[in-house]
Amino acid sequence: MHSGILQAINGVSFAALLFLLASGFTLSFGLMRVVNMAHGAYYLFGGYIGLTITRHTGSFALGVLGGGLAVIPLGYLIDRFLIRRTGENHLAQVLLTVGIAFVLGDVALKIWGGDSLKVPTPIELRGAIELPGGIIYPTYRFALIAFGVFVGLSLWLLYRKTQIGAVVRAGVDDREIVSAIGINIDRLFVLVSALASFLAGMAGVVGGAFLTLYPGAEWEILVYALVVVIFGGLGSLEGAMIGALIVGLLDAYGRWLLPEFSYFVLFGPMAILLLFRPRGIFGREG
Amino acid sequence: MNVRSYGVIMALIALASALAAPLVAGPFWMTLITQIYIYGLLALSVDLLLGHAGLYSLCQASFFAVAAYTTAILQVRYGYPTIVAAPAGLIAGTLLAVLYGSAVRTRGVYFILITIALGYIIWGAMYRWASFTGGDNGITNVPPPSVAGFSIASQTAYYYFVLAVVILCAFGYRILIRSPFGLSLRGIKGSESRMQSLGYRTTMHLYAAFVISGLIASLAGVLYVYYNRFINPVAASFQISVEVSLMAIVGGSGTIVGPFIGAGIFLGLRNWVSSFFELHTAVMGAVFIATVLWAPSGIVGLVERWRTHVGKPKDQQ
Repeated sequence: MHSGILQAINGVSFAALLFLLASGFTLSFGLMRVVNMAHGAYYLFGGYIGLTITRHTGSFALGVLGGGLAVIPLGYLIDRFLIRRTGENHLAQVLLTVGIAFVLGDVALKIWGGDSLKVPTPIELRGAIELPGGIIYPTYRFALIAFGVFVGLSLWLLYRKTQIGAVVRAGVDDREIVSAIGINIDRLFVLVSALASFLAGMAGVVGGAFLTLYPGAEWEILVYALVVVIFGGLGSLEGAMIGALIVGLLDAYGRWLLPEFSYFVLFGPMAILLLFRPRGIFGREG
Repeated sequence: MNVRSYGVIMALIALASALAAPLVAGPFWMTLITQIYIYGLLALSVDLLLGHAGLYSLCQASFFAVAAYTTAILQVRYGYPTIVAAPAGLIAGTLLAVLYGSAVRTRGVYFILITIALGYIIWGAMYRWASFTGGDNGITNVPPPSVAGFSIASQTAYYYFVLAVVILCAFGYRILIRSPFGLSLRGIKGSESRMQSLGYRTTMHLYAAFVISGLIASLAGVLYVYYNRFINPVAASFQISVEVSLMAIVGGSGTIVGPFIGAGIFLGLRNWVSSFFELHTAVMGAVFIATVLWAPSGIVGLVERWRTHVGKPKDQQ
């Protein structure tokens, strides 16, 4: 019973991390029709930079912020000078961004080495919390859940309740009309892509504090993010939230109950869902 | 000289040099060339979908690895002879394609993402299901193939065997893509809605192409496991799937020689670069980027463009 609850918290906290990465991925697809497989590499780079900042300044918060901010110019350059040239050819985008991820991954290996590195967490988050019923759980994972909920709420408010969000939503529906009514769609693209990079970089620091950072981590986390958006539907923010929860919980319970088949537990339901709803839960036709 | 006889002469030269290769090349080159044939075959399986059906599958390594693992496990752990293990590998890989074929219900980017995720199931199974697959270490000590007491143990013998299989496959593939079936696949690639309105069951066509592609990939997997003598989860990795699709594109998508040329360029370049440059993965990544930006139709495409460019004024004289 206890471990069942523990796994639920594990799953939800992993979901919070996945949401950070998947929300950026799904929004950039929704608006720009870009499939960016380098998103995992942004995560890794953000994580490593945040790690370096945290080590030098001793501040975890600065590390999270710095890791996120540092990825923005990188993401902008890649977007502006490479991805933009592929137009809407998804095959070319996938190959191109996988190539970019290989380059970034190798550069990261050269700079930070091949060992698993853990982002140091602040003392306040290091201990464990005892819940009613005698369940002891690391404070950090609770903080992560709170952070995920905070980011999720902010994104949702931004997306649903502000002028910018309305324009982005309009852009997801029909880009030509949005630019025809005089909105600078290019500026919107830069904004959303910066937001996506920022979220991915931040996710790297936050995730690096409990999953550690190592060469190859970018692909592992990217696959989870892909499954999140496949579950939720490409281009849907709400879908990314629900998808992250589904994937986080399936993964936690799968690892606990069927350790050798945890990938089946995760991908099996996905395959079945796809048979009935090829575009995911919130995905729309078109 | 017309284009057709030109092609025949090129093919004969290629065949002659392939047959003569063991006479002049040392073990290092023989290993590399055998590897090129096998990966070329895998790239060809990618290209049946990519170049003819217009589907970009990123789970080809799964069929490759499932066939290889099945053969290896049957041979090593259960002691079955090659005559059982190799066909069983082919069947297992193809059955997986029958199952995964449901992905053709989707198109475009959804198809790409779904095949990536499906590919990871197999990788995960090989990696985590350690009690059966050997986990990280995989299956080692696969014996050389032997049929009816006749063993293909030497490197040269196996080289000729792989060459024969590849040539047979290339002929079969040529018949397939020139058949009405191949034609309708290219019709679907051009405009699926038009083919539908002409009465074709396009999804069934794509499904059949997916299964055939899985069969070719499985064949490459069986050839690979006897060549490599061991198999580990890397064979099922996403990286392999991406690399072979790059081979198909670098060489020239929609052709038969293209994937093999691509495999040669890719593997040759990687061997060469990794011998003196530490960041060789980054170099391969740069090759990906350069291909997409400057040579999307591959080497064969570049040659064609050059030939029409140079050849045209002459023909018109």
